[in-house]
Amino acid sequence: MDTNTEQLKPLIADEIAALSSINVDGLSLDECEAKRREVADTRIRLLGKKSELANLKKSIGAITAEDRAAFAQNVQSLEREITEAIESAESSLDRKLADLKNEAERVDVTLPGRRIAPGSHHPITVLRQRIEDIFVSMGYTIEDDREIETDYYNFDALNIPENHPARESQDTFYTTDGFALRSQTSTVQIRAMERRGVPIRILAPGKVFRRDTPDMTHTPMFHQLEGLCVDKGITMAHLKGTVTEWLKRLFGPDTVTRFRPSYFPFTEPSAEFDFSCFKCNGTGEFEGDRCRPCKGSGWIELGGSGMVHPNVLRACGVDPTVYSGFAFGFGLERMTAMMYNIDDIRHMFENDVRFLEQFR
Amino acid sequence: MNISYNLLKDLIDFDLSPDETAKALTRVGLAVEGVHTVGGDFVLDIDLTSNRPDCLSHLGVARELSISLDRELKLRPVEAEMPMPPVLAGDVVRVDASDLCHRFTARIIRGVKVGPSPQWLVERLESIGERSINNVADITNYVMHELGQPMHSFDLDKLSGNRIVVRRAADGEKITTLDEVERELDSSMLMICDAEKPVAVAGVMGGIESGISDETTNVLLEVAYFDRASIRATSRNLGLATEASYRFERGVDIDNLKRASDRAVELICELAGGEKGEFIDIYPTHQTATIVVSNDISASVKRLTGLNVDEVECDRILTRLGIARQPDSNEYKSPSWRHDIAIEEDLVEEVARHFGYENIESELPPAYGAGEYLPSEDRIRSVRSALSALGFSEAMTYSFIDVEHDDKFDLVTVQDSNSGFVTLKDAVIEGAVRMRPTMLPGLLDAVRLNLNYQRRNLKLFEIGKAFIGGGNGQLPSEPRLLTIALTGSEVFASTVADGRGQDLFDAKAAFETVASTLGISMPEFRSSAAKHLTAGRAADVYVDGVLAGSVGRLHDSIASNYKLKRDVFVGELLLDVLLSASPESVVYKPLPRFPGVSRDVTFAVDRNFQYSSLAAAATTDDTLFDGSKLVGTFERDGERTITIRLNYRSDDRTLTDNEVEAVHNTVLANIQHSLGLSPKA
Repeated sequence: MDTNTEQLKPLIADEIAALSSINVDGLSLDECEAKRREVADTRIRLLGKKSELANLKKSIGAITAEDRAAFAQNVQSLEREITEAIESAESSLDRKLADLKNEAERVDVTLPGRRIAPGSHHPITVLRQRIEDIFVSMGYTIEDDREIETDYYNFDALNIPENHPARESQDTFYTTDGFALRSQTSTVQIRAMERRGVPIRILAPGKVFRRDTPDMTHTPMFHQLEGLCVDKGITMAHLKGTVTEWLKRLFGPDTVTRFRPSYFPFTEPSAEFDFSCFKCNGTGEFEGDRCRPCKGSGWIELGGSGMVHPNVLRACGVDPTVYSGFAFGFGLERMTAMMYNIDDIRHMFENDVRFLEQFR
Repeated sequence: MNISYNLLKDLIDFDLSPDETAKALTRVGLAVEGVHTVGGDFVLDIDLTSNRPDCLSHLGVARELSISLDRELKLRPVEAEMPMPPVLAGDVVRVDASDLCHRFTARIIRGVKVGPSPQWLVERLESIGERSINNVADITNYVMHELGQPMHSFDLDKLSGNRIVVRRAADGEKITTLDEVERELDSSMLMICDAEKPVAVAGVMGGIESGISDETTNVLLEVAYFDRASIRATSRNLGLATEASYRFERGVDIDNLKRASDRAVELICELAGGEKGEFIDIYPTHQTATIVVSNDISASVKRLTGLNVDEVECDRILTRLGIARQPDSNEYKSPSWRHDIAIEEDLVEEVARHFGYENIESELPPAYGAGEYLPSEDRIRSVRSALSALGFSEAMTYSFIDVEHDDKFDLVTVQDSNSGFVTLKDAVIEGAVRMRPTMLPGLLDAVRLNLNYQRRNLKLFEIGKAFIGGGNGQLPSEPRLLTIALTGSEVFASTVADGRGQDLFDAKAAFETVASTLGISMPEFRSSAAKHLTAGRAADVYVDGVLAGSVGRLHDSIASNYKLKRDVFVGELLLDVLLSASPESVVYKPLPRFPGVSRDVTFAVDRNFQYSSLAAAATTDDTLFDGSKLVGTFERDGERTITIRLNYRSDDRTLTDNEVEAVHNTVLANIQHSLGLSPKA
């Protein structure tokens, strides 16, 4: 060991001891920053251009050739010792500093997000879209058409006779030009069959109008959904299968349906259809009380259906001896009201935001 | 309609409980809405479909039960009796209007004692919801419910000339009906008259003068069949609907008159004394039975319902219903009480409903092509979602609005001369006879309603149809609209802190978002003079140069009509213009490899200056120019400045200051040239 390095060692030993004695525990941000500055100064003092170590390195030229290798090794080892001590101090201080800074930025993570209040889709839209999705997946084409119609499309082509109560103006809105506001979406059946011909599978959702004074269960404007399937060999079994299938997809696989004979001018045979209550699964009881949507009957009466009347097919240029078809229809407001337990369907058209924003 | 369980048992033997009976009837299409106990009887409340007037009686309902029970009805054969010969009968009953009165029977009963009905009759009537009046009136009422045939009893001695003439009323003739209302008649109405005057509105209601009273001893019992349309018209024109008119206008059984008459006479003689007298039966217009041809009823049932019902069972069901297959033929004869059997499909329904809809299989039709949405449904859905994400709630308002909104709004739906309003003959909501040419009034009603409920910060939109034009036999057009209304501040979902106040630029942003969602070019906004908007804060909206609508602050005069004290911003666009604009195609531009340079420039402008002119003028052909964007505007003490950022970039090198300076000066020169504006020092 040469004398110069020997002289340096004890001096540096104190510095290294001081560095390794730095304890970051309990330091405040200010103390920590001060300590960090001290370490930076120490680095310059011990490793900088004017440090003893630097001088030592410069003196290598004065060392004899045989001692030079040992000298270099000593200086290197000394430099490594110093560097390690400094870097260790720096990194523990830096980590502590980062921790302290983050701690200063601590927030209450349970405060709500800075979110603009979202709007909403109208409940009728929500349900219509869900049902449209189901029928499109079953191979149906969605159709819509005029809301103001001629008597021909609203009545005649649908086999609704001249003297039928529905044709009287107490049920149907008429314009001063003698046109009718369509009183059922069945009008779309006719226009679609005229346009597309058969075979055809369509679902027609839309607004319809009847002269009802608004009350809890009636509005003069509401929405219907009408399905039509015409092809060779279509029977009531297909009607039953189709209605059951989409109700299962909407309300779950345990849903069952019930068809009861009924009368509509545009179908023969005709049927009304009910489905097992989605709330009580057809038991009529929910949590020990009379089930509300089905009024305790276990069944929800939904709509009308049947085999398309031959007169309707003929009106659309379809030969009823070759083709047969089924049609079904129901009201969306009633169904929406049932699904969400809405006691007054007038809410649907009042647009009270407290009502609207409950739907997404 | 109320059906008495006990009375039903008089007509057919069965051992079903009331609930089982209800189920059996509902199963075949006579929907029983409820079963109630009345005294010692049960009443079934049946919601009858309009095609089945034959079931407006216990007889009809019993017939429906007879199929599943496979049992005969308990009906005695009608007693054969020679009516009074026509030469003599003419002195008692003359039918002058045989087109409206297809058959008229009259029975004279002498020595009747009018008084209260026996308890059993009172109870029967009560159970079906009828009030007891006196024995004779009760009996006619009872037989109507039992057999379905309305009838009327006259006090023979009060009939002038002791005779009946069935004729049309003379215009202006009057009658006071049993409800003590004097009614003026016209020549379209069929009347039962005596030698002088009308004594009953045929098929609707009797007159008060000729009716049965406590003094009546001699009765003329009328049992007739009238033209259905005539009864309907008379009932409606007089505003008088009765149990009788209800049945006559739907159609009763013309071959059932003698049975019904005999039944009533039997009861009158039994309960009110009296002696059965002459019977007159004038039957000028015989009804021809409808013949329905079915070559293979079993196959037709299978074809329409998928049910396997053999021919024997089909014929059994039809026979029980009175629909008789003609011997050795393919013809089925509709019975006189059914007015709804006309085609083979009707027979199929009869078989299917009695064989049981519950036996129809449930299967999906064979696979078919792919389903499709409406052509623009996906795009409309994305518009809804985008607006909803911006905080707009979807509203739905009535398609009819008050006429008071006429001429208050500039209508985007009026695009050509065919612009008349569409008007309803009458309304169910007072004043709302106008089919909306704009959705703004509806949406403003919604704004008003919500403000009433202290919701001050609102964003609403509606997508729907408006109605305009038509006339001269043409259907109106039904353009689709997208309408928005907003007021108050931005709202946060989970805090009550009010956000920034909303203004015109939020309304514009909504329409810009819609355009961006649809992928079409940004709409262009030009100053608007729309009368429902506030001048200076109103813009017409153009999409690809086509006028699509307007947006702006609601005009004060309209706002005050709605009692809106705060600023409301509204906009309405023709959805079809938006949807028909072609989406801009995506063209990839390579990412810049060299940094660009931008220069912000401020111009002093006056208050009427339009940014759009600056944006248009800030350009050059030099390829180094990379567009401009607004930095901001500043306004104080009437001084207004606009700052824009001009961007410069090359695709193949980093620009030098000199290069940038040269292009920048060209752009500034262009602005100076077009607008006379120089950058503010």
